[in-house]
Amino acid sequence: MGATGKLKKISLVLASLLIMVTPLLVSGCGQAEASLKVGLSIPFTGPAAEKGRPMGDGVLDCIKYINEELGGVEGIPIEVVWRDTQYDSARAANFVNEFMDKGCLFFTTCASKEMAASMEIANRNDFPGFTVFSSPVCIHPPEHIYAQMPDYGDSWAAFAKYYMENIWEGTGKPRMALHLLNNPTGSGASDAAKALADELGIEIVATEEHAATTLSEIESLSRIKAANPDVLFISSTPQPTSIILKNARELGITPGVTVGCGHASFTQALIDLSGSAAEGVYGVFPTVNWGDDVEAMEKMTEYCLEYHPDDYGNMDYITCWAEGLIIAEILRLAVEHVGVDNIDQLTPQIVEEYGFKMLDNFDPGGLHGPVSYSAGDNRMAKAVRVFQVNGGAMVPQTGWVDAPAILYEDFDWFGQ
Amino acid sequence: MDLPAGIRNFTYAQDMAIFRTRWQWMMLVVFILALFCAPLLLNNYWLGIANLIGISIIAATGLNILIGYCGQLSLGHAGFIAVGAYAYAIMVSRFEWPFLAAMIFAGVVAGLTGLLFGIPSVRVKGFYLAISTIAAHFIIIWVINQWSSLTGGYNGMGVPVANLFGVSFAGQKNQFYLIFAITVLVIFAAKNIARTRLGRAFVAVRDNDLAAEVMGINLFRYKLLAFFIGCFLAGIAGSLMANWIGYLNAENFTLNESILYIGMIIIGGLGTTLGPILGVVFIRLLQEGVNSISPLVEGWIPALPSGFTAGLGPMVFGLVIVLFLILEPRGLAHRWNLFKASYRLWPFSY
Amino acid sequence: MSELLQYIITGITVGMVYSLIALSFVLIWKSSGVANLALGQMVLVFSWFTYGMLVQAGLPLWLGLGLVVLFSLGMGWLIERAALRPLIAQPILSLIAVTLGMAFFIEGLVSFIWPRSVAALPRIFPEDVIHIGTAVVSQEYLWAAGISLLLFAVLSFYFKYSRMGIAMRATADDQLAVQACGVPVTRIFSRSWMFAAVLAAVGGVLMASIGGITHGLVETGLKSFSVVILGGLNSFLGAILAGPIIGLAENVGGGYLTPLTWPGVKEVIPFIIIVIVMFVKPYGLFGEERIERI
Repeated sequence: MGATGKLKKISLVLASLLIMVTPLLVSGCGQAEASLKVGLSIPFTGPAAEKGRPMGDGVLDCIKYINEELGGVEGIPIEVVWRDTQYDSARAANFVNEFMDKGCLFFTTCASKEMAASMEIANRNDFPGFTVFSSPVCIHPPEHIYAQMPDYGDSWAAFAKYYMENIWEGTGKPRMALHLLNNPTGSGASDAAKALADELGIEIVATEEHAATTLSEIESLSRIKAANPDVLFISSTPQPTSIILKNARELGITPGVTVGCGHASFTQALIDLSGSAAEGVYGVFPTVNWGDDVEAMEKMTEYCLEYHPDDYGNMDYITCWAEGLIIAEILRLAVEHVGVDNIDQLTPQIVEEYGFKMLDNFDPGGLHGPVSYSAGDNRMAKAVRVFQVNGGAMVPQTGWVDAPAILYEDFDWFGQ
Repeated sequence: MDLPAGIRNFTYAQDMAIFRTRWQWMMLVVFILALFCAPLLLNNYWLGIANLIGISIIAATGLNILIGYCGQLSLGHAGFIAVGAYAYAIMVSRFEWPFLAAMIFAGVVAGLTGLLFGIPSVRVKGFYLAISTIAAHFIIIWVINQWSSLTGGYNGMGVPVANLFGVSFAGQKNQFYLIFAITVLVIFAAKNIARTRLGRAFVAVRDNDLAAEVMGINLFRYKLLAFFIGCFLAGIAGSLMANWIGYLNAENFTLNESILYIGMIIIGGLGTTLGPILGVVFIRLLQEGVNSISPLVEGWIPALPSGFTAGLGPMVFGLVIVLFLILEPRGLAHRWNLFKASYRLWPFSY
Repeated sequence: MSELLQYIITGITVGMVYSLIALSFVLIWKSSGVANLALGQMVLVFSWFTYGMLVQAGLPLWLGLGLVVLFSLGMGWLIERAALRPLIAQPILSLIAVTLGMAFFIEGLVSFIWPRSVAALPRIFPEDVIHIGTAVVSQEYLWAAGISLLLFAVLSFYFKYSRMGIAMRATADDQLAVQACGVPVTRIFSRSWMFAAVLAAVGGVLMASIGGITHGLVETGLKSFSVVILGGLNSFLGAILAGPIIGLAENVGGGYLTPLTWPGVKEVIPFIIIVIVMFVKPYGLFGEERIERI
């Protein structure tokens, strides 16, 4: 009897929870005041929460700053409809329906996986949106989806270009080996290498894959060593990259072979995890660092320390603060087009035509490379910087370098 | 047994009827009519949730046949759903098959894959089978990721909008009718499987497979049949899922999803027709509830650790499974029956 | 040929790490017949706890690791008491499902307390590599292998000669009969969970010191299931031998098959082995085949 009594209590509590929550969800936001609605999908919880959380904090803090200190866009506040996807594709896809229901002008997602799940519904309805982190499938062929940051393929292209211009001194073609994570982070780099290696004059001599759960990559690195490469490019996340770096050191591949890392791994965590094995490693990264002297740094630091001090030092917060600035710029361009008094005429289509597509060399507070639209290339920011690890710190080697545009849809192997 | 007062069964047909009285039939018709009116009231978002629930019910019903009736533990259900989704998408996009043919094909392919990984069930059970289905999951996902000429590999693949008799199933509203028509059919079929020789053989295998074999049930045949039916329904669910989401990626089909399905049928009630329905609705709504309430709670109590929202969902879900197993192993379906009985007997419940 | 030596040495040492986790599984199975699918999550939570002690609280190594052992003992006791004890004599499906529920709960707990996804433990073992012929191996793996062997020896002796160990084996064989003999079955269950938790903690610390703490530890836990399937669910010897076999198959197989098949074949080799073992020898190399009666 005791057990059933407990169960009854528990089910009562759960049922009342559900009943409390449902009206909250259904009611949504129904103010009559004029505002510009934008939908944000954020993996605030779930398996990607450690990235999604600071990302969400960053963009929401930035919008708060724009609304409170700058008075919104041309005096009209931005109204955010943000939803937690839990990094679940089905949920992410369904939120696009909700954003359209609620009359949002466009939407954004954080991760390429979420955008891949959302984009079909959005494209079917001509509903524009952009994703902070992207993979080539999101924007090739270009439709209504845009990418805020360069993707993993761009990372490879930028590094390869830098390598050819500044590091490679031998004769003939440099021999490059790729070590790729078994997901779009890795495949993005290998697609870019497939498309551009010939043009840049690089020979790909080995391609290896690893899992995020790897304990040892000695076996794959032995094969890479046997291929005798000049340069090794790793496109992965920090933890597997650290294993590869340590094992490469053990096998004597480094020092000797130049190592480059894609931006998914090139963070402080990589240096913490790999210790001395990270010394001398090159990497690309698309945003500035905390404390750099750029225009937006002061306000961003102020807001971050006031509202989310835990996030201080997190690179994703910077990225998404920039996302907030870009959202405001897109809306500003669109409002400018229809006029402040006619904002009820704004539709997602107008925002795409006169907001997204009018972006021209917009500087997101210096936080990352300039944002432009050029026809056929739905990347918004195209630039990264190359860094090298030196004495346990990442030292920039270049200013903003543009990653060459890769027209994946022209290759018949793409998407096959 | 639990007939309303004054009703007796006089014929075998009456005894076997699922819906015995006219009143029950009327309630069913009213319920289905109400269900199919839902799109008039719900917005696209809630329709999307409803569609997801419908798809999950199909998959969970399949898993229930496998686990609840036949007792063969499978931890690879998401993998089989993935097989169905990709088989459907490949047929529709690369070979331009019509919707229905591709869907049934997807079911058959998923069913055959299930057969293949179900063969060990003839020799082993329990934990061994659980692990071999986990293995199935990883092998399936690896093949999908690597066979990029067919599946698009890590980049994933787009799924064209389904068309049936000139109606396009792009919007949530149209999909709702499609998905729930199929869901009703599947539930009806599952109920009838359970009442026939097949279902009784499954139950015999579940309760004691040695005894079942002695009674003349061909274990090999029935265990594999359970795998086939269970995974066939997973494949059907997968093809509807492919159409619903529009873009496939192997990352969508995780091992956690399989565990979620097991949780759903345990919470709903193993080995009942009603169980998967109640379990799916409960879990999906619980997810919605946790998802929207945890940021609010965090707003009220700022002192909570920053991982609060991230951790709450899995913790609540894990807790619910454990509590159900300990306190109500027969699940919500049993509760529902108790409720019906007390309602019927009220106020003279003795 | 030089590659082969390297593959073999890497395979054996990595495999010994799998063995260590597998020992924890076998311990529980051997005494209570419960399949612990929350093993990976337990490894994860213990390595985060180690991080909390050594890095966040900044405790010295001996004190920190001591607290980790205490914590794991407590956690093992708690899991058994709260989730497993109410389910004694329930069907195997419930026992497996309850560990799955626990797995979710522990995962939630980890992201609740440690929302960061990646962290590094301070180096416990020296960094220099050891050269064996043309091959190299880092000391972390050798330490891990040594510790696995040591724990294996301890466990084997314990189960063979100690009173409690014998009682544990008897309990696994027939709970009712053992109870009738006056053996405190519940205490045996709770002991075995506590010991198994310590084993998982040791494995967690070793793996985290090799590759850092990430969610990947959970899936490495899954890989150790292929070790127990190959070795036999109730055999310590099986676990300690099957680990290196799986490691060898992964590395040698991956080393020579990758050029012939798709990349990443190394990751699925353990799972392919599981399927093959199921067909050929379902109770593993040293597992005991149960003869069922009606």
